[in-house]
Amino acid sequence: MTLVQDEDLRILRDSVGALLDRAGGVRRARRLRDSDEHWDAGIWQELVAAGVLGVAAPEDAGGLGMGLTAAGVVAEEVGRVIAPEPVVPTIGMAIGLMQRLCPQDPMLEAAIAGDVMVAVAWQERCAKGLSDVIECRFDGSTLTGNKDWVVGASGADHVLVIAEGADGPVLVRVSSDASGISKQARSQSDASALWSMSFSGTPAQLLADGAQVSDALANAVADTTVLTAAELVGLSGAALVLTLDYIKTREQFDKPIGSFQVIQHRAVDMYVMQEVAQAAVREALAAMDHADTTLERVRQASRAKARACTAAQKITREAIQLHGAVGYTDEFDVSLLLNRALVLSAWLGDAAFHRRNWLEANETEVAAQ
Amino acid sequence: MTDWNALSDEEFRKEVRAFFEAEYPEELRHLPYRPKFAEIERWHVKLHAKGWVAPAWPTEYGGMGLAAAKLLIFYEEQQRFGVNRGRDMGIQMVGPLIIKFGTQAQKDYWLPRILSCEDIWCQGYSEPGAGSDLANLRTSAVIDGDDFVINGQKIWTTMAHDATHIFMLVRTDPDAPIKQKGISFVLASMDQPGVDVRTITTLAGETEFCEVFFDNARTPRANLVGEINKGWSMAKALLSFERIFIGSPSLAQNALGQLETLARGRGAFDDPVFRDRYTQVALDVEDHAALYSRFADQLKRGETLGADVSMLKIWVTETYQRISELMIEVAGPDGGSIGPLQVGNVGVDVLASFYKARPTTIYGGSNEIQRNILSKAVLGL
Repeated sequence: MTLVQDEDLRILRDSVGALLDRAGGVRRARRLRDSDEHWDAGIWQELVAAGVLGVAAPEDAGGLGMGLTAAGVVAEEVGRVIAPEPVVPTIGMAIGLMQRLCPQDPMLEAAIAGDVMVAVAWQERCAKGLSDVIECRFDGSTLTGNKDWVVGASGADHVLVIAEGADGPVLVRVSSDASGISKQARSQSDASALWSMSFSGTPAQLLADGAQVSDALANAVADTTVLTAAELVGLSGAALVLTLDYIKTREQFDKPIGSFQVIQHRAVDMYVMQEVAQAAVREALAAMDHADTTLERVRQASRAKARACTAAQKITREAIQLHGAVGYTDEFDVSLLLNRALVLSAWLGDAAFHRRNWLEANETEVAAQ
Repeated sequence: MTDWNALSDEEFRKEVRAFFEAEYPEELRHLPYRPKFAEIERWHVKLHAKGWVAPAWPTEYGGMGLAAAKLLIFYEEQQRFGVNRGRDMGIQMVGPLIIKFGTQAQKDYWLPRILSCEDIWCQGYSEPGAGSDLANLRTSAVIDGDDFVINGQKIWTTMAHDATHIFMLVRTDPDAPIKQKGISFVLASMDQPGVDVRTITTLAGETEFCEVFFDNARTPRANLVGEINKGWSMAKALLSFERIFIGSPSLAQNALGQLETLARGRGAFDDPVFRDRYTQVALDVEDHAALYSRFADQLKRGETLGADVSMLKIWVTETYQRISELMIEVAGPDGGSIGPLQVGNVGVDVLASFYKARPTTIYGGSNEIQRNILSKAVLGL
């Protein structure tokens, strides 16, 4: 990985931020939510042209090789305007898996270049919720089973699936128009969808097998987790800015409500929470760029997501309270931020899940010493 | 003389660590209370001989002349090894003020005496009616010939019963239109009939704090530092470095280590409720450290810290309290026991941690005052 300078990151932040602001910022997210499209293909292509999808991918695969730290900058900016395009799932899961397991496959470069959209189906549901056993089977040529919580299944050209092969987990590819696929959307609070997918004798192509699959999956999930944390940091920062603007202008008892000490102290607590979250997530991103082991990367990702979820939930909920009654309306943007925070917090594990994960990773590390 | 700033950070850290490990008396490590000078005198003698009493002072005045980044390393190592700060009010507060605002005669007379601890200083700022609202102080100094005559009362004066001198903010212009403008900074001897010291017993049963009563006490006019009625802004100018120091992660990190020791010993890590609560505070400490390094990096780049540094103190002191409260819970029926609880071959003093954590949200500008500062100076509310 090339050594990335602060100056490079600043330029990246400015250019991605400017692009998303020009496109309409949070207003664009509202407009797309109220349309049938959900994403904006034009903006997606602009992001692709800016190199956003390949920011962390190796240069010989058409990426920029700037590491997760740079991808985190992109994710923060995406979160700040709650852009609905699947930037983080594409960088973290799709490209993350391909660059580790099938770097020579032309689909990697095509995905970075925005020529194909790739979704990843890896989780499964059991009666109690999230299953820790993979039941989806790959028999060498076809795929049969169910997958859940898939992001972007509707617009994808291909779906990468983690399935159980003859000798453990494998990564296979199915074309989204292949036979034997059915899918169902579950609508989320931010109007996005998470998909349930069923495969029944669906033709699939083997991309990778062996022990490397589990390790690559763990790393790709860790990447996506920390990038989602960065997205939440951008989101909670936006909620804080909106709230500060509001309490400076909203007057009651002939004064801005931000002149009352009880409001001031609550605003300060939101601010401190935001600063801690931002510092922690950025430190975790940098640590993951330099970590030697999967365990350390998983530990840092969990630390980041635990903090970012806690901060985003607290900050968006406080933002509603400090807005008062209008905070409970759809009309004010703070509602969009709260609804998006709910989805991003739940996806890939909430704060409690990641605290548990972090402590277990710590204990595994200590036991290994 | 060594130019410490010319060393790399790692070299300097090694040097400091090696000296502390070789020379600091083992039985004085991590003292849970503030010692009197006599108790730590032998350490002070070593430090003085090494020329390391005043890390922040310029070398021309007998200090180490450390730049901010090196200073931070010095204090980190000091806290890591549990080296007592000693009676450092003269070093931390009076010395820098005299260096910045004092006359040549004041520098020549006072600075060597501070370094040698011939004079031991206490800080006379707070009063019964002037805590968070410090500018409301009323202790008066009135000119009488070549002296000031001082009347009034100071309180929360740390270790005044073991000090030879007091530096104080006093009211010299009772008619100033803004109360901050009638305040001066003066030095006075404690050893005189008009000064009476009474210790205050804290709820921890300790006597670190005192009340100091002034009844026509006198100090020469030559002991005014800086201009008359300009004491307030001078005292404030000293606080910039103090604000990152008071927000350093070390207290909370040490307490977290103790919590972990106790919890392992008592099997608390088998309890999922405890596991989650432990992880919350552990991550509060780890993530605070990330924020702290951001400010430390600012200092390393030679930048001045802004008012936003106050958030470090808020976060770390409140985390420290939660850790110490959790320790009491883990101790179970021993939660009220005085002295160390034996865990394997180490002792964990849960009450000492709990008591030590309580005043941290009050001193150094209460956390409510810190929130006021952030609200005004950073958020613009």
